[in-house]
Amino acid sequence: MQKVEDLIAKGKTAVLEHEAKEVLREMGFSVPKGVYIEKDMAEQIPAIVDISYPLVAKVSSSKIISKSEVNGVKLGLKNGHELKEAVSGLLNIQDAEGILIEEMAAPGIEVIVGGIIDDQFGPVVMFGLGGISVELFRDVAFALAPMGKEDALWLVREVKGSKLLKGYRGRPPVDIAILLEMIVKVSEMISTGLIQEIDLNPVALYPEGAIVLDAKISLHYG
Amino acid sequence: MGKEASINQIDLLFNPGSIALIGASHTEKKLSGAILKNLLRFRGKVYPVNPKYKKIMGLKAYSSLSELPEPVDLTIIIRPAHEILKILKEHERKAKCTIIVSSGFAEIGEYKLQDEIKSIARDTGIRILGPNCMGVYNPYHKLDTFFLSRERLKRLKKGNMAVVSQSGAILSCLFDALGTANIGISKAVNYGNAVDIDESDLYDYFIRDEYSDIVISYIESLSNGRKFVEKAKELSEKKAFLLLKSGKGSSGQAAAYSHTGRLAGRYEVFHSILRQFGIKEAMGFDDLVDTAKAISYQKTSMGNRVLIITNGGGSGVLASDECIRQGLVVAKLPKNKIEKLGKIFPKFYTISNPFDLTAQVKDEDYIASLNELKDDFDGFLIIALTGVLGVTERLGKMMKNLKAGIGKPIVFHIAHGGVSRKLTAILEKAGIPVYPSPERAVKVLKALLT
Repeated sequence: MQKVEDLIAKGKTAVLEHEAKEVLREMGFSVPKGVYIEKDMAEQIPAIVDISYPLVAKVSSSKIISKSEVNGVKLGLKNGHELKEAVSGLLNIQDAEGILIEEMAAPGIEVIVGGIIDDQFGPVVMFGLGGISVELFRDVAFALAPMGKEDALWLVREVKGSKLLKGYRGRPPVDIAILLEMIVKVSEMISTGLIQEIDLNPVALYPEGAIVLDAKISLHYG
Repeated sequence: MGKEASINQIDLLFNPGSIALIGASHTEKKLSGAILKNLLRFRGKVYPVNPKYKKIMGLKAYSSLSELPEPVDLTIIIRPAHEILKILKEHERKAKCTIIVSSGFAEIGEYKLQDEIKSIARDTGIRILGPNCMGVYNPYHKLDTFFLSRERLKRLKKGNMAVVSQSGAILSCLFDALGTANIGISKAVNYGNAVDIDESDLYDYFIRDEYSDIVISYIESLSNGRKFVEKAKELSEKKAFLLLKSGKGSSGQAAAYSHTGRLAGRYEVFHSILRQFGIKEAMGFDDLVDTAKAISYQKTSMGNRVLIITNGGGSGVLASDECIRQGLVVAKLPKNKIEKLGKIFPKFYTISNPFDLTAQVKDEDYIASLNELKDDFDGFLIIALTGVLGVTERLGKMMKNLKAGIGKPIVFHIAHGGVSRKLTAILEKAGIPVYPSPERAVKVLKALLT
């Protein structure tokens, strides 16, 4: 959690996506390969990008809560031309501070793993079927943190849609072991008291492995 | 103060040797007079405190706590909120425990006054119940601190269920409902604003209280979530415990930045955590009372396979629908049993699940089918509609004899009216709970099957 402590030392509260992903990378989570470009460096795109197409470009701002609501995510960019066009569009969004450019991940089953310091119970974790519709379906469950893998499995099974994870209608089952590891890890992170809220949303789950596609962290100042 | 000392102090709340009522009045028309009248039944010492009187309801009155001939175990304070701090300060070395009945604190926004009470509790070591509460009822100790007259609120008989309610109004409604359900109680407590003694302290007490085998609890807000989880979990492991939480509509966390924060409504988190630790939750008032009745009559047991025996087709189908909603399995009868039962019963009986004995039913048919199928299922719902002549009070007596041999949850649905009242009374005396609708009976069966 060195990276979290560094961010706190800098007096940050809401952390930008690439910073959140650095924290996660340090904690051993799998995140897409990517590069963060500040607004005034955007001219040098695509020369400074050494990752492979297709790419995704996302607006970065401490003031924007929902990127999809401001149309701040451009998917499936196939070449330098498309990238450049996407970036200039994203920079026109109000409050844009920079752009995060990442390799596109393969589609998987999307879930949310989150944590919060709850004002009644202290650190708790949340699991649910993710993506942008998580707040629509509200198919989520909570548990006290920190927790072991057994409780993490209980948490996953509490969610109605968790049948999807076992391989629904001919799809292969996803890597439950890695999902449980992620839940346990988030439960440990939220229990340090350094983080107020954390969202890994969505996490794409695959038959083998998983990757955190988007993440939010807000820091806790006790 | 050591932990033991503090538990013993809570015991003084339920089993005091002596009580002072501060603010006693001579007329039942006042709440403080109603309390005194109820205290007259108490076998220990009762000291009314009111400087205006020499004698109240036949008892010698005292002008203040310091005038009493001896320190008391428990005081009950019913004076205006602004006088409470001064009265509490007089408690040092004069009383060990107090119930503050008065309102006018955090519930109307007077947080500062309530915080000052809290610090007095901490500094003096006096344990405080309330403020804004009715206190306690202990039928085994003839202790009754309620400000409701016995004429208006019938008291419950002795039993083995403890009732812990944050709200006085809900506690009084529970008294009516539990009385109708023929349930006796070990102790009842209304703890109001929980400035000192909170739900967790009370659970801790009831974990150890040998008079209480079952605990039901109504909660509006938690004092300390982690402490609550610890004690509620321990209580659930040691005794039958059931709670009802109100305030289900509140939204997510105040300054939510994340999806998690916006989804983490106070009730949603509470509900999940209860399930995480196997703490049973009632989903509403009726569910609380229905389930309380069932767990006070019968032990829970494992399994989810339910047999429905009915004499009304429609009722059986409604029960079957509710089983599906509750995740219970209305499993098929074993083939060999269908053959065997086909030889015993008339052709027009539906030998299936639900098992329909039709309007031609006789009391013995219920017993015969139960005897034949008792090993094939985990729980039994029996529907006995008393509009037909074949269902009589004898069924109650026969069920009483059969119950021990089955040793698994059995609940009845009987529609109200006529013969059914007597049959219901006989069944409930035998520890078989009866409900007026198929759905309510199934919900309870679900609570009995874990």
